[in-house]
Amino acid sequence: MDYDISDMAKRISLLKKEALELKEKAESIPAVECNIDRILASIKMLEINISDIVGL
Amino acid sequence: MIKTNLFWNPVIQTLPREKMQELQLRKFQKILKWAYDNSKFHHSMYKNAGIEPGDIKTFQDIKEVPKVEKSMMRSIQAKDPYPYGDMLCVPLDQVTTYRQTSGTTGQPVYQPDTWQDWEWWAESWAYWLYSQEYRKNDRVFMPFGYNVFVAFWAAHYAAEKIGCEVIPGGVMNTEQRLLKMQELHTSAFLATPTYVLGMADTARNNLGIDPRDLNIKRITVAGEPGGSIPGTRKRMEEAWDAKVFDHVGATEIGAWGGECAFQSGLHVNEAFFLVEIEDVDTGEIINEAGRKGKMVITALDRIAQPCIRFDAKDIIEWNKEQCECGSSFRLLKGGVQGRADDITKVKGVLLSPTSIEEVVRSIPELMDEYEVTVTKRGDIDDISIKVELNPEQESNKEAVHQKLTYQLRLKTNLNFNIKYCAAGSLPRWDVKARRFKDLRKKE
Repeated sequence: MDYDISDMAKRISLLKKEALELKEKAESIPAVECNIDRILASIKMLEINISDIVGL
Repeated sequence: MIKTNLFWNPVIQTLPREKMQELQLRKFQKILKWAYDNSKFHHSMYKNAGIEPGDIKTFQDIKEVPKVEKSMMRSIQAKDPYPYGDMLCVPLDQVTTYRQTSGTTGQPVYQPDTWQDWEWWAESWAYWLYSQEYRKNDRVFMPFGYNVFVAFWAAHYAAEKIGCEVIPGGVMNTEQRLLKMQELHTSAFLATPTYVLGMADTARNNLGIDPRDLNIKRITVAGEPGGSIPGTRKRMEEAWDAKVFDHVGATEIGAWGGECAFQSGLHVNEAFFLVEIEDVDTGEIINEAGRKGKMVITALDRIAQPCIRFDAKDIIEWNKEQCECGSSFRLLKGGVQGRADDITKVKGVLLSPTSIEEVVRSIPELMDEYEVTVTKRGDIDDISIKVELNPEQESNKEAVHQKLTYQLRLKTNLNFNIKYCAAGSLPRWDVKARRFKDLRKKE
């Protein structure tokens, strides 16, 4: 199966941007900040699995 | 034929060799820079060796990067930032998980992880469990003490990540665990080889349950080399009528290797780890198959306490065969064949304890347990082995004795004093067994 890795990486990068912006807006709401930290860790796994491959 | 249905990530697991190497080099440069910039320990070590992150342009350059040994980690820990010391690369408030090594080879090493590291641990385990066909409809039992040792913690989260139903069998004894597995109709479990055999023994002898009747489909073993020792694997598979898969990992490293459904040997997750095999005598890096050496390993994505060119002391060799699954992750021949610091000279002969296990477990008339003792009489080493003969094989004792003597001599080049003990009289172990006793140092 062929995958469009570049497009997937672009979407992962958008997810990360959204998560970081949400974290900034939610300053001093621990329920948002801490859950975003977990989301960012999951996004990092997407980067390791997909984004890191782009350009090889 | 590539079996992509066995791959957690078909993109990475089918990456052509040259791209895999490019990925490894790129990631190595990144993690080295990270450690150089964020850890005083790494910074001064590399500075003293005359290495700057920008110097790493080829695999040849990687060879020049100093190795880290466990003893170095011990010496910098228990200091500020407490208790991890100068290896820590993140502020303490980003550390979310503490684990430590078991201390089998000395003072335990503390292991800090961020939440990202912990996700990564589970992610690396997920590659193996998925390749072993753990799926959403599996009910997985985890019979280990959930405590400060990493053991199967990350496997627990990996199984959850895959979507399995996970049952934590923490503070329970073996009988309670077996009864819970029977009650809940579990389909898989993970344990050390010693415990897999011990559980089967307990099921038969204490509960009157034939472990084969528990309908376990797959078992993943780790923590000891037994999963890659044919005789031990055969005993486990026959006892449970299940497929047994080997897995390797370590607290300071991560879940770096595992078998797939084809059971052709241990694959190395080369996208997450750089495994180098070093000639024990010359230090030369071995790239060809068929030559044993010592593993030097880098976890390419671990950030809180990086593992860069860690001298793991595991003895491994590349396998020239490709696995039928079609993964581009290379295979190791015979798994982890021993540890450089376990290999000892007896009567002038180099001996690896795994070769003894290989012999005992290949003789079906012998029971699972054995114990080896090395002593010194005057200037002469003496090696003894205690084994248990299956009571039903009493009439074959002479033939078994001949076979055991011959095989031990063949595999180790040593003559053993062999003692037969009553069935069930040798120590049984719950987690990692200590069957090899070298008493010479104490004498």
